[in-house]
Amino acid sequence: MGTDQQMTKSLATGHSRRRVLQGAAALAMAAPMLRAARTMAQEKVQLVLWHMEQPPNRVQQFQKVLDAFNASQDGIEVKQQVQNWEDIYQKATSAIQAGRQPDLLFTIPDFTTAIKQTGAVQPVEDLVDAIAADHKFLEPAVQPYRYEDHTWAVPLYGMVQLLWYRKDMFEAAGLGRDAPKDWDQLREYAEKLTADGKFGIGITSSKHLYTDQEFYSFMITNGGKHLFAEDGKVDFDTPNNVKTLAFYKELSKFSPPGSSSWTWAEPQALLNTGQLAMAIEKGQFLGPFEEQSGRPAEDLGAAPIPWPPDGERGSIYYSNGVMLLSDDQAKRDATGEFLKFLFQPDTYAEFLLAEPGLFLPVTEDGDSPAWRQSPVLAKYPDAVDLLVEQSKYGYLFGFTRDKINPGIGQISAENMLAQVVQMAIVQDQTPEEAVAAGQKMMEAAAASVQPSS
Amino acid sequence: MARGVRRGLFALLVVGILAIVVVPFLWILLASFQPNRLLIQPSPRFSLAEMGLSNYENLQQAAQYFTYLRNSAVVALFSTLISLILAVLAAYSVYRLDYRGRQTLLRLLLITYVFPGVLLLIPLYQIFGRLNLIDNLLSLVIVNVTFAAPFCVWLLRGFFGAIPEGIEEAAALDGAGRMRILLTMIVPLTAPGLAATAIYTFILSWTEYMFASAFIIDETRKTLPVGLGAFIAQYYVDWGILAAAAIATAAPVVILFAFVGRYFVRGLTAGSGK
Amino acid sequence: MQATTRRAGQTPLEAIRGDRGSAALFGYLFVAPLILWLVITIALPLVYSVFLSFTDIGVVGTEGAFIGLDNYRRIVAEPEFRAAFVRSLVWAFGGGLVQIVLAFAAALTLNQAFRGQRFARTWIILSWIVPTIVIAIMWRWMLNATFGIVNYLITHLGLSAVPIDFLGTPQWAMPTLVLINAWRWFPFLALLILAGLQTIPEEYYQAAQIDGAGPVKRFFSITLPLLQPVLYVTGLIGTLWAFNIFDLIWLMTQGGPVSATETLPVLIYDRAFNGFALGEASTISVLLALFLLIYSVVFIRFVPAGETEGGVL
Repeated sequence: MGTDQQMTKSLATGHSRRRVLQGAAALAMAAPMLRAARTMAQEKVQLVLWHMEQPPNRVQQFQKVLDAFNASQDGIEVKQQVQNWEDIYQKATSAIQAGRQPDLLFTIPDFTTAIKQTGAVQPVEDLVDAIAADHKFLEPAVQPYRYEDHTWAVPLYGMVQLLWYRKDMFEAAGLGRDAPKDWDQLREYAEKLTADGKFGIGITSSKHLYTDQEFYSFMITNGGKHLFAEDGKVDFDTPNNVKTLAFYKELSKFSPPGSSSWTWAEPQALLNTGQLAMAIEKGQFLGPFEEQSGRPAEDLGAAPIPWPPDGERGSIYYSNGVMLLSDDQAKRDATGEFLKFLFQPDTYAEFLLAEPGLFLPVTEDGDSPAWRQSPVLAKYPDAVDLLVEQSKYGYLFGFTRDKINPGIGQISAENMLAQVVQMAIVQDQTPEEAVAAGQKMMEAAAASVQPSS
Repeated sequence: MARGVRRGLFALLVVGILAIVVVPFLWILLASFQPNRLLIQPSPRFSLAEMGLSNYENLQQAAQYFTYLRNSAVVALFSTLISLILAVLAAYSVYRLDYRGRQTLLRLLLITYVFPGVLLLIPLYQIFGRLNLIDNLLSLVIVNVTFAAPFCVWLLRGFFGAIPEGIEEAAALDGAGRMRILLTMIVPLTAPGLAATAIYTFILSWTEYMFASAFIIDETRKTLPVGLGAFIAQYYVDWGILAAAAIATAAPVVILFAFVGRYFVRGLTAGSGK
Repeated sequence: MQATTRRAGQTPLEAIRGDRGSAALFGYLFVAPLILWLVITIALPLVYSVFLSFTDIGVVGTEGAFIGLDNYRRIVAEPEFRAAFVRSLVWAFGGGLVQIVLAFAAALTLNQAFRGQRFARTWIILSWIVPTIVIAIMWRWMLNATFGIVNYLITHLGLSAVPIDFLGTPQWAMPTLVLINAWRWFPFLALLILAGLQTIPEEYYQAAQIDGAGPVKRFFSITLPLLQPVLYVTGLIGTLWAFNIFDLIWLMTQGGPVSATETLPVLIYDRAFNGFALGEASTISVLLALFLLIYSVVFIRFVPAGETEGGVL
């Protein structure tokens, strides 16, 4: 929360004289802001929004939407503040403890379970219902936020993974322009494409959320979507997951050096420079492909992630949402107004285009012509179809059952799936050992958190 | 002949040591003028034809560089000022005045470095939260002084030790008070040391990252390292813009150092020169 | 401020220095602001941390129950803690050794008279004045396994057939970070040593040379002993600083890969904010502080401080 904000609030409520006095020293530095605050309309409801979508293009696009909303009425002003996924756990929890949390905080399901333990997260089923009356939500988007008799976030956009590949590189290697169909073929292609300093497939093994995501997508394709058994116990050490890890490790031989310290950027950069033929990632590959690769849009292939003969189609699916952290009724109402504005199909298209292809609609009417016919997405109609289609096969680890084990917050925050991958690939343990160690780690995490009441 | 060879070898040594430090910076400086496309090639290939400022232009659009710069400057200046005042007073006390317990005090000062910064992060956050100092540059000033001032006291050691006793004697003859002695005689005499100390604190404040990233929330109050930190670990890491951001973050303190750096070095070395 | 009055029979100097009562009063008065500042910003938070270490508080901002010494018992037995402790020792002492060697080489070189000496003395410090985040970006790029210059040089000079993923392989990550940190800090240390070197009168060396002492002997019998005061403080504070370094490691590897660079401060941060165990994190903090306190006491007790003006430290 900004100082100016604080001041407005103090002046408006008139009760914080003491706080103002305490902050007197701070005021010396904040005097200009105080002046600015005084001139503001005092009855305006201010909503401070934190999100972790840092790339400048996204911030700018969000601002466009916020400006439109702020201009559309005079009662509410929404202000965005950009945060980092890297330190948001620390920032958010510290801020909540100090009473300085934002009113709205973007989230993914596992982050919500973690932050919910502070008691600051407000139930929002009323807001969800109000929007759903006009714009029906896709069930997979709402489901991971619905537990303990409430809904803890309003879904905003979905994200799903596909296999991206360079058709021109496939052709050069004599593989045609079609994607591999199953695991065996994926392996074969990856090997054939690894030659002359080029690499077949990006298999990340860093201790990073990206590794969690890529490995979990493979787990799903081999029957491993449930991280917990029906009774709520950790169910990670399964023959299927061992087999998946063995396959993942096998594929990592065809991944460029440095894969064990990758973050988001590297596979995309390498695919675009023609050093990498395949990568598994979300929809952000579309936007910069032509410019960075110097190739026509047709050369970017997209396909469902291949699965083994007895496996199934699937991918990780993130329902990104927004949590309400303020218990102030005026702010809740203002949030409702804001969301109502946001989900109008044309506005919503603008919002989703903050990152074309990465942000997928979570409402039925969100898959609108305004979104599809935007400059970037219009070039990749097949990929957009696939992304939308793939969402139906999407799952998120820890959120595939009705009851949610709160330990998932820690499992995700500590990147435990990635740690298992690191044990197998970086430390060269056998898949059996690594999966067993992962099971232990996850059990400890699940045991350390009491289900919140 | 042998002399010439030795001089040659010595020159090589000097250049070598400097190169170890400086060359990486030159490399990234060069990179900051190149388009990202060239920076992610397997073999480094710089192109003179494509030298340009586009990374800096993009950076300027993406980040509130001058806002960060101003915040960093405000924090560093106030930290330096307060730290200097506290350190001079304390140094005068422990190095010029003779009383029981001063050795213990001196040790206590240095032992403050026993406590990990991470340890202080959470409790300080709470305290500042209560004082309404979160998301306020003052919180950074407070923390920077805490971590700079004790070492500053030690840095002043040589300078205070080097002041001849006769000076205070003469002043005492005139009936000057201690505060006046401190201000009118000691401070001028230790000026090089004060300069070194000030520069030390300034740099420490300028580079501080952990507390600044935790305590500051609003974009308009971020310091330069934190503002730049937001560029790391994004979906699209663009090494060109990162290189430009790195240079832009380093530049102010490097430029400042070009002017005052010799006082820092001279100050450090002169103090113990007696 | 009041003027110091001279009592009968006192020399002027006694009036100002020898008058112990007044010296003590002003002594305490002048040092008080700094001490007070440190009490508020360090001692108070410390007390709070100790309190937290006796609770099972999880997520920052939630409530915890008092559980006595449970955290301590569990942490001390925990392999992660022990491994991180060993890594911290390697980080601080291994890194310290590298820094000292580099710093001496630099300081002895810069102590010679040569053209451009002032320039070299000023700019050698470049790596130290630059924010950590800049260092992190720079080295992450240069060490990148696919397009970093370091790997390009290594593979083209034939030092290694394949690129080395310096930050992504456990056996390389720690040495790499230690070297980067040493690279960052040795110039500062070199300047402190240089300052010490300048206090050594040239005549000592001349006398030793007349006695037939070679350069090595001169270094060990004159340079090193007379540098004692500088080495004393850098040995103490430098080690404490090194133990508590967090930002460089966090920005370079976040403690990875597979915890290979997870020193105690990194473990503390990770435990508090990603592991949702603030109580345990506080316990580790307190244990680290205790260890450093013991180290300092032993150091002060047993390492000779050397002769200096103005007191021991």
